[in-house]
Amino acid sequence: MDVTVSDLCRNFGRVAALQGVSLAVDAGEFFAILGPSGAGKTTLLRIVAGIEHADSGSVRLGGQDVASLPVRARNTAMVFQTFALYPHLTTFENLAYPLREQRTPRAEIARRVNEVAEMLRLSHTLARKPGTLSGGEQQRCAIGRALIRRPRLLLLDEPLTNLDAKLRHDTRAEFKRLHRELGSTTIIYATPDQLEALSMGQRIGVLRAGRIVQVDTPDALYRTPGDDFVAGLVGDPPINLLPGTLRATHSGTRIDLPFMGIDAGPWHAVLDGFGAGTRLTVGLRPQAIRPVTAEPDGPAFTARVFLTEPLGDVTILDILAHGETRLRMVLPQEQAWRIAVDDTIDCTVDADQICLFAHETGTAIPRDGTAAGG
Amino acid sequence: MSAREVRSIGQAGWGRTLGAAAVSILYFFPVLFIILAAFKTRQDILTWPVKFVFTPTLDNFVSVFFRVSVEGGAAEATGFGRYFFNSMFIGGSSVLLALVIGTAAAYGFSRFPLRGNDTYLFMILTTRMMPPIIAIIPIFVLFRIFGLSGTYQGIIALYTAFNLPFSIWMVKSFFDDLDRDIEDAARMDGSGEWRVFRRVCLPQIYAGLAATFVFAVILTWNEFVFALLLTGTETRTVPVQIVRTIGGAMGVDWGLLSALETLFIIPVVLVTFALQNQLLRGVTFGTIRR
Repeated sequence: MDVTVSDLCRNFGRVAALQGVSLAVDAGEFFAILGPSGAGKTTLLRIVAGIEHADSGSVRLGGQDVASLPVRARNTAMVFQTFALYPHLTTFENLAYPLREQRTPRAEIARRVNEVAEMLRLSHTLARKPGTLSGGEQQRCAIGRALIRRPRLLLLDEPLTNLDAKLRHDTRAEFKRLHRELGSTTIIYATPDQLEALSMGQRIGVLRAGRIVQVDTPDALYRTPGDDFVAGLVGDPPINLLPGTLRATHSGTRIDLPFMGIDAGPWHAVLDGFGAGTRLTVGLRPQAIRPVTAEPDGPAFTARVFLTEPLGDVTILDILAHGETRLRMVLPQEQAWRIAVDDTIDCTVDADQICLFAHETGTAIPRDGTAAGG
Repeated sequence: MSAREVRSIGQAGWGRTLGAAAVSILYFFPVLFIILAAFKTRQDILTWPVKFVFTPTLDNFVSVFFRVSVEGGAAEATGFGRYFFNSMFIGGSSVLLALVIGTAAAYGFSRFPLRGNDTYLFMILTTRMMPPIIAIIPIFVLFRIFGLSGTYQGIIALYTAFNLPFSIWMVKSFFDDLDRDIEDAARMDGSGEWRVFRRVCLPQIYAGLAATFVFAVILTWNEFVFALLLTGTETRTVPVQIVRTIGGAMGVDWGLLSALETLFIIPVVLVTFALQNQLLRGVTFGTIRR
């Protein structure tokens, strides 16, 4: 079932939760909504579900405007962040609840509950109440309750937030498998975690303060973020955002950073219109900074290491470039092991991975030969 | 609750244990005194110092139900069974009524707030804050006009009205503490508003309803002033009868009085004991980690 949302607005008192959100999700797509807490993700999902009303705008499910359609007629299921299991009912009754409300025959209920319990490894918990289940079991029970009606649209509101790290990893894979198995079911997945969005979403919509700022594939979102907010949200560790200034030199234009200069050539088409002295924001992915081994093939600078965070396979280094600008870089362990705190290292930047943003608006400045807005 | 660790006396310290025991005995002493007196003869009751060792007798309990007249002749029923039934019937039905109406009102106040919701709630609470006796004269007049004096309907309606504010406030607090997502989940699962209330919200607050029931039952069971003024011989409750027992040609029959009071305590103790787990969960509702 495809979902089209147009110009949704919703205010809670003086707080504008949604300010004109428009989205189109294809049938059968796994669509992630990424945004920090308070961005309006939950409100958006609740309006699509029908348990919240919009002040203005419309929601179309499968081409049909659902404004006058009651919740139960929308063929939509939702998994809540708190799981929202019925605490007074057993796992069996929790799973059976949607079917009972549809007046499904008893035998059919028992068959489908057992089938879903089997699929989600809940069979041993059927006689127990939610309070006695582990976090992972509660979450699978909530998913089972959502799936048992075979909805055509599944809304997931931060379903992994209340789980521990190991379980999150397993469940991410589980969700992808579920999506493949369910086939035609559309999934909209809201999360504040860029890792979840990137790893599961076929496309990602980034929500910021009630507005959609970018809709793209995970790869495009990472490589060509639409603005500095998206750049800061996507990628781990977060991108280095640095103040830069445009300079004219005898051989062309240059972007001056406090510790080095970058050739502005790749952004020539847009930057040509700007005067020298224009302030820019330069985005350097931690993965794009590396120590100089032989001859530097890009711009280079010297930095002092002041913090190392070894993570096993990689190490995150906090460095001070030219003694003043703080940067973060990531190195594979085999390169990082001989670097210690207070060492001085020569670094270079992979010029292909530099992102450029206008200083005032934060909007991305596209490289020559690519369309604006990524 | 089942896996709770029980401290031994040694852990608390003997000093504290004895101190706590002394305070408990001090507070429980009047009740203990009454219960002991119920099993004593008139002589034993009036002996000073107080006797704690004596030959128990059931005479007082017999005279609760049967009166032997001074002139001799057959024993005559006192009608105490009737008053006991009245207390239970009037208390039970008015509390149940208040609970049903109060739960409906509380759900409305909690989930479908009106403009000025808090004002209504405040007004409901203030009616409970004033001493009920203030309203006795108009109520007495109303009972006269409508012919409700001495009837079951009258006193049950009155007690229902007095239990309502308390029931509404208490039950509302239980509804307020519920996780709203669970109700939304039920709506997504296809429930209409009635079934959200009946199948999802109500079962979650059963413990709270039990706690409210017990508190209201105790209040109603002990009520005296309105019962004295508005019940008749047919509908008289136990507290009124207890007071009527004081006095008489032979002076106060302390043994009879003690026996009456001992019997009067039993139902409240039983109800509280039967619902103690719910009571504990009810009063600690919302303080539990989610």
